[in-house]
Amino acid sequence: MSLERKDEYDHNAWLKERDLSVVEKTYLMTLIWFDRRFRLVDYLEILENMYYKINLQMPKSHTEQYNLDNKFWYWYPLYALGSFSVIAYLVAALTGALLGFYYAPSTAGTPPESYALLTTIMADQNFGFMLRSIHRWSAQVMTAAVFLHMLRVYFTGAYKEPREVNWIIGVILLALTVGFGYTGYLLPWNQLAFWAGQIGVEMALAVPLVGEWAAQMVFGGFSLGQPTLQRMYILHVFVLPFVVTALIALHIGIVWMQGIAEPH
Amino acid sequence: MSDNDSQQSEPATDGSGPGIVAPDDEVPSWRERKERTTGLSRLTYEYFERARREDQDLRQESSYVERDVLGFPAWPHETIRNLAISSFFIGMLLFLAATMPPTLEDAANPAVTPEIILPDWYLYWSFGLLKLGPINPELSILGGDKIMSDELYGVLANAVVFGAIAIVPFLNKGSARRPVEQPFWAAIGVGGVMFAFTTSVVAVQNLAPIDPNITFDLAFLLPLVAATITYAVLKTMREGYMYDLNRRYYRLRPPR
Ligand code: HEM
Repeated sequence: MSLERKDEYDHNAWLKERDLSVVEKTYLMTLIWFDRRFRLVDYLEILENMYYKINLQMPKSHTEQYNLDNKFWYWYPLYALGSFSVIAYLVAALTGALLGFYYAPSTAGTPPESYALLTTIMADQNFGFMLRSIHRWSAQVMTAAVFLHMLRVYFTGAYKEPREVNWIIGVILLALTVGFGYTGYLLPWNQLAFWAGQIGVEMALAVPLVGEWAAQMVFGGFSLGQPTLQRMYILHVFVLPFVVTALIALHIGIVWMQGIAEPH
Repeated sequence: MSDNDSQQSEPATDGSGPGIVAPDDEVPSWRERKERTTGLSRLTYEYFERARREDQDLRQESSYVERDVLGFPAWPHETIRNLAISSFFIGMLLFLAATMPPTLEDAANPAVTPEIILPDWYLYWSFGLLKLGPINPELSILGGDKIMSDELYGVLANAVVFGAIAIVPFLNKGSARRPVEQPFWAAIGVGGVMFAFTTSVVAVQNLAPIDPNITFDLAFLLPLVAATITYAVLKTMREGYMYDLNRRYYRLRPPR
């Protein structure tokens, strides 16, 4: 095959015959230069396609199409609760990473080192008090938003076919969110943390057959100590963030695919 | 042919060589390959073909109404709206954090059991379920012994709650969406929410100046009352509401 360009693809000749201004010509030359290397054309097509899909030809919503009552918008703010969970999760992740710079899980010494580190964060670090405060509040608000989001899904019947899978993923996310809260609650290693941990161990031990194994796995033994704190720390800053982030992505991906369940 | 021969005398460095045959009419297309498969892959192929056909049919017979106006613009309207909502929300977080900072209690001390042991508020309901010991059944066969410890009973109660939430979509089917359409399920929901509150109260009962026995009874009574009221109210609203809904919606789009 010849490497000579065929006439119809001779862009230079085409440029010449078009008699363009300098700006136009520079623009086209640049475009062609990049297009030869990256085939921008393909991507432009995708972008264009997406643009039209998003911005044009919006189908009528159920309420419009069937002329149902127009009061439904009263409830729309409740549809933001899922997004609020995400925003609060992001804020918690950000502040949590910053808190992580100054925290280490250790029960050694009196007061325990983790507790002492928290005292340092709150008393000595610039902005540390506020950081802890924001982290706590975003966690609380996230949990509240998740519960309320679940209620909104329940009362608008949005869990019905074909969204059963997303409901189940949601239940798992609810459990993991609460788990996030619980493991975080233990990290300051103060009285509340210790005794909440104690209840956790007792709950685990109450279960026949797997209880002792679970207590050792999750709490690192039958009484609380360094292994417990270490495990809670790893769960809170390593395991849960990966699992929850992945599940949220999946959850919202599915919402994207299936669309928001419309009221009717 | 001769061209090929002359090339073959030189070492082939371009990756072409014997063994690579240009497709001709005999070569099966992908479709034919798929049609020829057997077993599970054959089933998969057949199902996908059917599904694709079904999709196309549905699309052709649909009376899908498309707008002849532009949709809500992503920029700037939607973007600014999202930014505003997010900023408001984050602002609210910062406000809460600034005005109600957390405390750091005393350091952990295994030797001293504090008077009040509580998890965070969102676990109160679960903590309350651990205190359901009084209704753990005692079997007369076992001489009044309980089949399981009160702790296990509480843990199981938690598992039951999560299990019940998880199977909701498989119990309540159909196309109804509004609570008025299904007063029963709305009542279950309201009762459940109420139960979460009352068990939370049970969890913090040593903080409240109410007789624990009363709190305990109310924990089961109030959800029932709330559910009944919800049911009655929605059932009453239902008739007029469903008339409208049937006229406007279900007649046009009968539920499957
Ligand atoms: C970390 C927790 C969660 C996050 C970040 C999250 C996020 C979201 C978002 C952003 C949406 C889009 C619609 C909306 O915002 O209302 C959504 C929809 C949905 N969520 Fe969640 N969610 C979470 C937990 C849950 C829980 C606990 C459940 C139920 C048990 C649930 C079930 C659903 C269902 C069924 C939908 C589809 C609703 C529809 O199509 O209208 N999610 N979720």
